[in-house]
Amino acid sequence: MMVTDMLRRQALGLGSLLLSAVTFGGWTLFARKGESPLLLSARDDGNGQHFAVGYHVDGTQVFATAVAQRCHDIINHPNLPIALFVARRPGTESYLIDLRDGRLLQTITSQPHRHFYGHAVIHKSGEWLYATENDTTEPGRGLLGVYRFVDERLQRTGEISTHGVGPHQVSWMPDGETLAVANGGIRTEAESRVEMNLDAMEPSLVLMQRDGTLLSKETLAQQMNSVRHMAIASDGTIVAGQQFMGPSHESAELLAIKRPGQPFQAFPVAEQQLQAMAHYTASVAIHNDLRLVALTAPRGNRFFIWDLDSGALKLDAPLPDCAGVGAVTDGFVVTSGQGRCRFYDCRETVLVAKPLELPAGLWDNHLHLV
Amino acid sequence: MFRPKLLLTSLAALALGACAPSDPQAVTSAAIASQVILPTYSRWVDADRQLAISALSYCQGKSDLDTARADFLHAQKAWAELQPLLIGPLAEGNRAWQIQFWPDKKNLVGRQVEQLVTAQPQISADELSKSSVVVQGLSAYEYILFDADIDMANAEQKARYCPLLVAIGERQKALAEDILSSWNSNDGMLAQLSKFPNQRYADSHEAIAELLRVQVTALDSLKKKLGTPLGRSTKGVPQPFQAEAWRSKASLSSLQASLASAQTVWAGVDNKGLRGLLPKEQKPLADKIDAAYAESNRQLAALKPPLGDLLASEEGRQQLNAFYDSLNVVHRLHEGELAKALGIQLGFNANDGD
Repeated sequence: MMVTDMLRRQALGLGSLLLSAVTFGGWTLFARKGESPLLLSARDDGNGQHFAVGYHVDGTQVFATAVAQRCHDIINHPNLPIALFVARRPGTESYLIDLRDGRLLQTITSQPHRHFYGHAVIHKSGEWLYATENDTTEPGRGLLGVYRFVDERLQRTGEISTHGVGPHQVSWMPDGETLAVANGGIRTEAESRVEMNLDAMEPSLVLMQRDGTLLSKETLAQQMNSVRHMAIASDGTIVAGQQFMGPSHESAELLAIKRPGQPFQAFPVAEQQLQAMAHYTASVAIHNDLRLVALTAPRGNRFFIWDLDSGALKLDAPLPDCAGVGAVTDGFVVTSGQGRCRFYDCRETVLVAKPLELPAGLWDNHLHLV
Repeated sequence: MFRPKLLLTSLAALALGACAPSDPQAVTSAAIASQVILPTYSRWVDADRQLAISALSYCQGKSDLDTARADFLHAQKAWAELQPLLIGPLAEGNRAWQIQFWPDKKNLVGRQVEQLVTAQPQISADELSKSSVVVQGLSAYEYILFDADIDMANAEQKARYCPLLVAIGERQKALAEDILSSWNSNDGMLAQLSKFPNQRYADSHEAIAELLRVQVTALDSLKKKLGTPLGRSTKGVPQPFQAEAWRSKASLSSLQASLASAQTVWAGVDNKGLRGLLPKEQKPLADKIDAAYAESNRQLAALKPPLGDLLASEEGRQQLNAFYDSLNVVHRLHEGELAKALGIQLGFNANDGD
């Protein structure tokens, strides 16, 4: 039995509300009008136990499922109430979770000589999943593990090159067919987070087809500036957040942009904001309607928002250990590894922070809203 | 007459939202801010004002090198006392780098000072603020006054370095004054640590959490400042030139100033520090932390010779390692049991992200 059938049957059993949601195939199941969006994230408890959690932004817990390995990013299925919590580098277990109750549907274990890098995407057909992976026999050789939903399970069917070293985040371009890959450029071995090639890093931004064909590969000026995370606007604008591995007192372009048809280049961030980031960015998000880009810098304990088009700074705010960020209707939701989560209302000129009724602290680097 | 006045006062207090007796965390945060942090920042501003005067006076031949050096050591001590109090504006925007450049593994301070005095022999404080952070602060100031290869008794050399010395003094004074004013401004840091909620802290617990976080970071940094020259990350091979303030032999006195300051955040003035937030049943933990500070102070007091001399002998290194271990106990207690007892999550993305 296909996982699709199984879940549809369960949904039918839950009544017409779910039926209509599933029938229409969209993600209306949770994001019904007037209902607070579902926030998915990896989170720890005070004892270091890892969890895959789902909370409504209003603070209601949907699930908190204990998992063996720490997760990083989360990707939901386009038309089923399931999501993959992806293992954090160099993790070997990703978790397929039922978003209605947090039930663990499947633990996806990485292949021998492979580990996950924390990020994945699911194709709009709902049939294919691509996860960034490391070939530890040739440390850092970037791969996308290709998985298919078959008989209730995700099965690995093969792998394709990311055309770069140490891939991190992978995202879809708006066509839902072209993949963007942030190749961090850093070689690491199995079971290790120690960088092996800081003197010869090869970070790059790659655009490629699903069949593995390379479309473009671009780099930034500084070789030690690791391209890690991306957000992609509906018009195809890519923004990328970097982590700089060079000397502490040097300045680095920690936010970059590739507008449609233009080269990959530094976003015009003022020196004052660059200095505040402590060479490290965690998550980046785009608000399509408001044309804003948001960035978390947990080492600098700083959260930023800029106008995506003009580059004007809209917010530069202290937020200890700010972690994941995602766009909601009127602004951005931000989580923190230390303090309370915030909603930043971005409708007015002066952006206002409102603390959310979510549990405080211990949120991991990314959040995913559905 | 008396009664309405009282009423007015308490109403005003309520309106300000300050010191609601039901919120010990708000009281503690406000007390640490006003009784511990702000006075230390004020002392730092005073020390840097004196530093600016001192540089000018020395370069004009109105005071001697010993006085100039003493004023540097005073500013260095004031800065060291700020280490466990690096919260708010000074902790942001890489500003700490502009005050002290440490660690300096490749002698960037020496090399960049030499390049700068050649390239810009008459540098102003304003021009200095646009230069590399390496040459803007106390580390460069110390290099000029203490480096063995510089002879300030020689008029030519003095003329070579003096413009930069004066510029650093001015720069540090301006920086310190700027930071202090951002503490005292409306909705400034002092207010944000005293009245909740505000745009920085959603509640008083967040403020206490950040106070502890900077404390833990500072204690960890003290370990690094000792452990690096001790060679703890270089297979036991001592690295005396990687100590902070090694040229002026102020490494241990700086550690002492930082440790004393950390202890003040813990103990507070009138017991309104972090210790005061522990419930009665946590007295064993409070005693344990008190004892850890006492032990660390005892170890440090026994270290009479300068760090460089201690590093040169086996016995000295043993003493330093014992002191390191005692610092480690203080650090671990704050990071572990104290954080837990206060219900504080210290954050993990900042140190262990991806």
